[in-house]
Amino acid sequence: MSGAELVEGPRDYEATLKAARARAESALREAGISFSVEEGKGFVDLVVDVDSIVKAAEALKNAGFTHVVSVTAVDYPKKKSIKVAYHVTSYLDPEIVGGIVGLAVYLPREAPEMPSLSGVWVSAEFMEREVYEFFGVTFKGHPDLRPLLLIPELAEKRPLRKDFVVREESIYEGVPERVRRG
Amino acid sequence: MSGEVRVYGGWRDDLGLKVIPTRRLARDVYEVFIGPQHPGSGHMRIIIRVDGDVIVEADPDIGYVHRTMEKLGEIRGWIKPIPLFERMAIHDACNITLPYVRAVEKLMGVEAPLRAKYLRVLLCEINRIAAHLYGFAIFGVFLGHSTMYMWAMGDREVFIQLAEELTGARLTHSYPIPGGVRRDIPQGFPDMARRAVKYMRKRLEEYRKIFLDNPVIRSRLEDVGVIPKRLAAELGIVGPNARGSGIQYDVRIIEPYEVYDELDFEVPVYTEGDALARTYVRVEEIRQSLRIIEQVVEWLEKKPREPIVDESIYKKYPPLHKKILESQGRAKLLPWMATMKVPAGRAIGRGETGRGEIIYYVESDGGMNPYRVRIVTPSARNAIAFKYALPGHRVMDLPAIYGSLDYFPPEADR
Amino acid sequence: MSLAEVAAAIIGWPPVWQVLVIGFLGSLVIAVLAVWFERKAAARVQRRLGPYWASPRLGGLLHLIADMVRYAFQYPIIPRTVDLIPFLAAPIAGMVIALLPLAVVPFTSNPAYWPLPPSAMEYSLLIALAIVTLPPIFIIAAGWASNNPFAVIGGVREAFIIVAYELIAILGFLGAAASTGTFNLVAIVEAQGGIMWLAILNPLAFLAAFIAIVMSTSAFPFEIPESEPEVVAGPFTEYSGLLYALNMGGAYMRRFALSIILALTFLGGWYPLVPGEGLLMGYILPSVVVVVKAVIVVLAISFLRAVYGRYRLDQALDLAWKILLPMALAGIALGLFEASIGLT
Repeated sequence: MSGAELVEGPRDYEATLKAARARAESALREAGISFSVEEGKGFVDLVVDVDSIVKAAEALKNAGFTHVVSVTAVDYPKKKSIKVAYHVTSYLDPEIVGGIVGLAVYLPREAPEMPSLSGVWVSAEFMEREVYEFFGVTFKGHPDLRPLLLIPELAEKRPLRKDFVVREESIYEGVPERVRRG
Repeated sequence: MSGEVRVYGGWRDDLGLKVIPTRRLARDVYEVFIGPQHPGSGHMRIIIRVDGDVIVEADPDIGYVHRTMEKLGEIRGWIKPIPLFERMAIHDACNITLPYVRAVEKLMGVEAPLRAKYLRVLLCEINRIAAHLYGFAIFGVFLGHSTMYMWAMGDREVFIQLAEELTGARLTHSYPIPGGVRRDIPQGFPDMARRAVKYMRKRLEEYRKIFLDNPVIRSRLEDVGVIPKRLAAELGIVGPNARGSGIQYDVRIIEPYEVYDELDFEVPVYTEGDALARTYVRVEEIRQSLRIIEQVVEWLEKKPREPIVDESIYKKYPPLHKKILESQGRAKLLPWMATMKVPAGRAIGRGETGRGEIIYYVESDGGMNPYRVRIVTPSARNAIAFKYALPGHRVMDLPAIYGSLDYFPPEADR
Repeated sequence: MSLAEVAAAIIGWPPVWQVLVIGFLGSLVIAVLAVWFERKAAARVQRRLGPYWASPRLGGLLHLIADMVRYAFQYPIIPRTVDLIPFLAAPIAGMVIALLPLAVVPFTSNPAYWPLPPSAMEYSLLIALAIVTLPPIFIIAAGWASNNPFAVIGGVREAFIIVAYELIAILGFLGAAASTGTFNLVAIVEAQGGIMWLAILNPLAFLAAFIAIVMSTSAFPFEIPESEPEVVAGPFTEYSGLLYALNMGGAYMRRFALSIILALTFLGGWYPLVPGEGLLMGYILPSVVVVVKAVIVVLAISFLRAVYGRYRLDQALDLAWKILLPMALAGIALGLFEASIGLT
């Protein structure tokens, strides 16, 4: 067992995020994909179209973003769309290591489907299954699309959408009336 | 070729014929369900397909302890999810909830005072040591080494009592709140902490003698479950698993939060990528955490006590609360915090727990509840390692690899 | 003939004394002691109390009796899909046949109390070793009859381990035969009485035989057929209640029987006590000495639980064939060499 190396000293995250953002934007521009930017605290989202998302993912992968940190899906019933964002980062490139860049796409709420990016990023495989079961988004081309955490009966109800309301019970649920009155 | 097998079934003794559908997998391939009711599987199921003694395919079937934390995060307000998210990995309590609190602070625009930051780091490191000792205990019992199990659990008690002195609860601390922390250190705490650090250093030597240098254990861990660096980067595994494969990544250094950029500590990285490297990373991390605790306790002892919540919250404290804060060092949560509204926006909060990097994506639309909380826990990201690191190994390597990955199902299932 | 003389004649008859009294009763008592020592020693190493409440003044010594009572009253659940006759017969047969070697080994040099006629006594070591190889078949049968993937895997592992240890056990014990030039256990013991025990003269064969005993009875670090984290209890997964207790007891009885053979061949048998005439001096006391030595071996094997993890199956096989087999053969060579230069 060789000795331990050490991770290089504390880094400045603002600079890392700026470098990651610049690299992602230039990669997308070189691939000829149009995108819009959504800011956030600690990350940045680049929104593209559904048709160009596979090309955009490949461009980002070649630019050095090695894996997917999170496949975030947010349900906007008022805008009638579901936003699916792939937050990616890099492990191996010291300039952008740790900087989170999001590749987002807005899908129509009625029939949300998009091509799967698990061919580009292996790490997205399990997370796409999660988005599939909680939001009902179908990923075309996924090698093994089945519910990850839930049983299939519950996954059909698409629990994390906003129209699935969890009814909360009062503490007197099931207690007969005369006992409740005390 | 699929078929049907008829068995006499029914548990009510009805002797009716029950039909079980069967399917033929492949010649000489045996499917074993290392299921949730198994001493060596934790709260998950691994479906392995075995050819003789060699695993051909492994399929983690998780979700047995799914507790709907992302959905509950949308209906409980901003403060109540703190004890809720703690339950994902309760022995790592401060590490798990701190990134959520930081994301909320980013949205609110408040920042914790310096003393509160040091207190948060103190509890984070205590929890990190306790989480690593828990991992060693489970690892020992998976390899059949019950002495390691008992010793690690016994020594974890030291740190749980230390956390109880600090927060009042053994495991369910709920310590960080947006704006600061809930308690200051009591008198006599620095001496307790120093005694605990000295004791743990002695115990690490004993662990080395009986576990890490044990020829049986070494032969079971060396060159087992090798994850090369490129594969680790593609799979996106986190924490000591990644650092055991040569990836230089630790959130405390990449995005230094609280006061990690002012402390003097190192993060070890080993390049072999086998189970022994991952275990060594964890042992070294315990050593570094002990160093951090020493430095933090020294700082807390020297500096004068100051309010441990942010200015904007402290000014709204009524006089009784201010008196309690000054005399007993307890910051009580004000009633308006239960139904507070956070300005709209999106934030990502990150932290390094004992098992790796945790990410909270918090989105607010200006209301009383978060609009969306997306949690990606380290064990959820490590789950994919089962599918790609197990094939090619023997069945008896499964507990060794499982224990070295330190996979914790309640954390992965949320 | 008075009642006492009749009783003495019956109890002193070798089959009764060796198989029933030392075999069943003795091994039950020794199982209590061995299990207690295993749990207590492991507990002390692990900084906890261990068995305590069953008999606090004795330090929890009678804990296994409480466990046995519990197993005896527990409802034995027999699944519907098992093969019933082998399922029920395997633990019982395994336990009984585990004690059979005790019927053929001598406990004294007084010919009046030998279990076999002197012509058969010439080959007592070979007969004992042959009988020792029988019980593992019942473990495999128990695994197969249980109709459970884990039990089948556990049974198959037992089959693999047999391939590993059986040759080494026989060759190790034959090292003692090589040193003394005979298969007669009485002659082997008497040869040791003179100078010193064969454990010191021929340590290679002793170590090979000892490790083979550890391997064959699923003691740590070779507790492979019944390892908990992979196969829930190996061949014994579907057993509950008294059948489970019989399985576990069978393992301890095999350990005890093999330890008695080890005590006779390598640890000097009944020396330093020279057997005399009469029932007491000629039979009971020498057998007590042998039993005490065997108990020490059993306790030493039990202590390994606190220190070692578990080897992997192919590593155990590698260890057996690459390291222990040459060592056993070297033990035979050493024994022949010592016999040739007249040491024994």
